[in-house]
Amino acid sequence: MNSKQIRAGAAAMTGVLLLGACGGGGPGGSGGDFTDGKLVLAILNDQSGIYKDASGPNSVKAVRMAVADYKEKYGDKAVVDDIEVTSTDHQNKPDIANTKAKELYERGGADVILDVPTSSAALAVANQAKSHKKLFLDVSAATTELTGGQCNKYTFQWAYNTYMLANGTGTTVTQNGDKKWHIIYPDYQFGQDMAKSFTEAIKGAGGTVQGTIPTPFPNDNFATFLTKAGSTNPDVIGTMQAGGDLINVVKQFNESGLKDKGINLAVGLMLITDIHSLGVDQFAGTMFTDAWYWNMDAESRGWADRFRDETGTRPTFEHAGNYSAALQYLEAVQEAGTDDADAVVGKLENKKINDVFLRNGEVRAKDHLVVHDAYLARVREPSEVKEPWDYEEIVTTIPAAKAFPPAEASACSM
Amino acid sequence: MTQSTVTQAPVTEAHPPVAATDPRLRWVLLAAGLVAALALPWFVYPPVAMDIVAMALFAIALDILLGYTGLLSFGHAAFWGSSAYVTGLIATHYGVPFPVAVIGGALFAMVLALPAGYLSVRRSGIYFAMVTLAFAQMVYFVGYRWSDLTGGENGLQGVPRQFFGIDLVETDSFYFYYAALPILLLGMWAAWRIVHSPFGRVLVSIRDNSQRARALGYEVDRYKVVAFVLSAGLTGLAGGVFAINHGFVALTELHWSTSGEVVLMTVLGGIGTLWGGILGAFLAVMLADYLASSGFDGIDLVTGSVFVLVVLLFRRGLWGTVRHQWLVWQQRRRSRRASASADPTRREP
Repeated sequence: MNSKQIRAGAAAMTGVLLLGACGGGGPGGSGGDFTDGKLVLAILNDQSGIYKDASGPNSVKAVRMAVADYKEKYGDKAVVDDIEVTSTDHQNKPDIANTKAKELYERGGADVILDVPTSSAALAVANQAKSHKKLFLDVSAATTELTGGQCNKYTFQWAYNTYMLANGTGTTVTQNGDKKWHIIYPDYQFGQDMAKSFTEAIKGAGGTVQGTIPTPFPNDNFATFLTKAGSTNPDVIGTMQAGGDLINVVKQFNESGLKDKGINLAVGLMLITDIHSLGVDQFAGTMFTDAWYWNMDAESRGWADRFRDETGTRPTFEHAGNYSAALQYLEAVQEAGTDDADAVVGKLENKKINDVFLRNGEVRAKDHLVVHDAYLARVREPSEVKEPWDYEEIVTTIPAAKAFPPAEASACSM
Repeated sequence: MTQSTVTQAPVTEAHPPVAATDPRLRWVLLAAGLVAALALPWFVYPPVAMDIVAMALFAIALDILLGYTGLLSFGHAAFWGSSAYVTGLIATHYGVPFPVAVIGGALFAMVLALPAGYLSVRRSGIYFAMVTLAFAQMVYFVGYRWSDLTGGENGLQGVPRQFFGIDLVETDSFYFYYAALPILLLGMWAAWRIVHSPFGRVLVSIRDNSQRARALGYEVDRYKVVAFVLSAGLTGLAGGVFAINHGFVALTELHWSTSGEVVLMTVLGGIGTLWGGILGAFLAVMLADYLASSGFDGIDLVTGSVFVLVVLLFRRGLWGTVRHQWLVWQQRRRSRRASASADPTRREP
């Protein structure tokens, strides 16, 4: 390397240093009530892995629908014209979710991050939201920690949590007559939490739990556990397995002949995409709690038709949840007249909401859990399915006050 | 007693000689590397830059085993992840400056590596890989199940970043990068020292012909265990910095896919090149980071294709191929010069 090159290199380095120094001045003060004169909604989720169908790219489209609806509703009166929707794939890696959230808040100008499946990723993003004082509206992550011990002022849980799933199914199925339970759960924290919530819910509703069986995770062969559970002659077997394990449990339950003995199967966590991928015949008769169902009434169906025109498929509750979170965020911004996070949080707290997704919804101020009606669903028999994706029958609506844990029970202090 | 003949190994061999580079060139490369490391956060988002350097040390540490001892460990996530957790726990519970926590994590990884190495070096090849994988899976499940300590699948959240009360380092990733960089560079220097020491030469001889090394009187298994523990310690150093950089630890760090990822980085860069790991880590981390915001939904497809391409086109990895070409060119030049010159004597004996 000759001296000329070295000098050129040094000059380039200095230039970069200067550039960096100028750019490091933090967010500019221009743009009135909106940083950079625009609003940025960032969706951070799994666009390529196992949660792609449940939320993924179609949630981005759902958020775009919300932006379009907001613009149509307010027209010239909208407090902000320039609304940007960005999409980032965290690849189900919490590290990437963490770095990307930081980058979105610091450099991407993101005013709010939406969605974020996988509990460890969502908790990391919540910490970023807290330190950057920007909003995070969780839709797809179910951990109660987000609104419990690790809650913060800028994080909201919009759609569901593990308590809602366990409590809804446990209480309602027991009240509907299946009193005797046997529970099978995967032996890690999610499964243990679910089994605990389930047991409490069943006992609260006057039922009995005859036994709980922890199983390895992940696991392929559930035959022995099912036989053991079936031997106590319960009314219903509750399974807390999820994803691929759930599919194994359901298949093996169907083959075990327990169904013919009059034993039902209740599922802790199930998405409509699980039913779609395995086939409705495999799940027929299974009970589970859903946060929302596209064909539950005219309003949701109307929106689901619009969604189908956009995406070619029917929405899951996570798609609808993202739409609702984005729309209500925009409403709160409209009300506050600024994208200042503290002002928007102030408008969201204690707000009562009814929209496509939230029915009798309320943004709880104490722990930022969004409570709303939940639904106990039964998977239809193949003969009952009249159109594609028409898999669920809503058995009972669980009122908002009962669907979620009471505010007093929350470990959250902000 | 036979005389020991020092022959220069032909560079076309699968494993190139350890140190055949011109010392002047080495200094130039070293300086260039240092400048690149210092300049990185100006061009790359600082937390990502930190990930690149941490991953680079991880790949380098693995290369001590893979490239220089001939042992393919498929369980290095155990040391990376356990150090990350221990670092995180120390930082959370004792509030010590982060370098102390990182060193604690690295020491823990070494302690963990001792029994693991002791048991696994008895086998080689695929069996060694399987034993290390099995061991790593055990560690993974401990992390998974001991959720009171590790947070289970929620991860260990809110790891603080203490640094003698210097606010800039504690809050700004840009300054944190420069505070943590020396730890990682020290790790890389240690790796270089290990490989180029007499101990490192013994490792290479074990790799090339372990029976012969044993016949020469070296306790092969003991050397392997020491190499394993040292590699785990450097891995732990990198894992600890990674944990502090992110401010949390997730189970992914213990997952077998992390072990796979680092093998991939090492192979991308070039096995047995040490510095190749830096290129591999840079490529892998930048690719994942770039594709995350690209809106393209087939990330694994792209990384997989890049891997296949590199393996097909650059058999020795990126760095390995460049170095090989350089050595071939040098050898050709030397032989041309030797044949052109009337005097057949060479400068070196």
